[in-house]
Amino acid sequence: MEPTTLLPIGLGLIVIGAGMGIGRFASAAAESIARQPEAADKITGAINLPLFLLEGVAILAEVFAFLMLVL
Amino acid sequence: MILGGEKLEGKSVTEQVAEYLISHVSNSSIEKPIIKINEIFGIDMSITKHVLMLWIVSILVSLFVIIPIRKYLRQSTYNPSKTSSAIEAIVQFIRDSIVMPNVGPKWVNTWTPLVLTFFFFILFANGIGMIPIFDLLGVAKYSGLTDSAFLYSLTKGGATATGNFQVTAALATITFFAIIVAGTKAHGFIKHWKNLVPHGLAWPIYFLLIPIELMGMIVKPFALTMRLAANMTGGHIAILALLSLTAIFADKFQSTVAGVGVALISVPMATAISGLEIIVVLVQAYVFTLLTAVFIGMAINVHH
Repeated sequence: MEPTTLLPIGLGLIVIGAGMGIGRFASAAAESIARQPEAADKITGAINLPLFLLEGVAILAEVFAFLMLVL
Repeated sequence: MILGGEKLEGKSVTEQVAEYLISHVSNSSIEKPIIKINEIFGIDMSITKHVLMLWIVSILVSLFVIIPIRKYLRQSTYNPSKTSSAIEAIVQFIRDSIVMPNVGPKWVNTWTPLVLTFFFFILFANGIGMIPIFDLLGVAKYSGLTDSAFLYSLTKGGATATGNFQVTAALATITFFAIIVAGTKAHGFIKHWKNLVPHGLAWPIYFLLIPIELMGMIVKPFALTMRLAANMTGGHIAILALLSLTAIFADKFQSTVAGVGVALISVPMATAISGLEIIVVLVQAYVFTLLTAVFIGMAINVHH
């Protein structure tokens, strides 16, 4: 098997991973804001950073997949 | 597509579209730069598309940030103009919520200028990439007004400077050295390197921990590079791919009606993704700045 035959499945797995991770983040944040509406600003500030780190991981993985396709 | 002007006979529309896409987001080739400069010390310093955009961004940042602030600082009374107030709001936000919680009150004034420079430069560079300035110059060529080669080469301009991996790698290199300088200033040169690993562990663990920490030192700026560059390039490729669906469908069904029908769907979607891209522009500047501040803070306040 060439290295690029399973590439579409790999890309799908990347998207599933990123989607599940960000979904869990959003649900945890929504729940905790529902419990304590006063802390809404702090919670939003706290999830900002890990959210975009996780998105960065997903984009890094996509760039490597694209590199595997091209090289 | 046709404003570019090159003849691409003998290739299918899909291949033409792919070539156009790749040439739009990547740098102009070093053999055909915008202005050719001969080699200086063996390095070819010709002005390519991204270099031109870097200069334009620097000039705009100087015009909009440095000059109003200098004028405002030279006044004796507190009388800020509108630009100064806006910039002051941003500076306060960055200093109080990004730099101060991470670095601590002792080093805020040392590291805020670097973080602010990163933020303004990346914000302007990302934002200018969203404005399709130079493609409009192609209209002049197409309408027969002028036929200058310089103008033609300028139509290939208007790219996102931070979409180039080498530009963001340069910014991440600055972060890499800033981390080392921050730790050295706070703790001294040798102690900064000793602070990489926590103290008081059993000695065989250090054989595993030191390579991991050294790799982490390299991987963190690498991730900064890739995150910013891939986000910018990916957004542009998505917008262009949606817009090229028109041409591809029109070619596949060999009818104009199919092309126009697909255009009715793809142009609003491309507009929506452009809106999302504006949010991504702001957020990516914020994230790069925040991570730089966090890494500098980790070198100063070691909290293993």
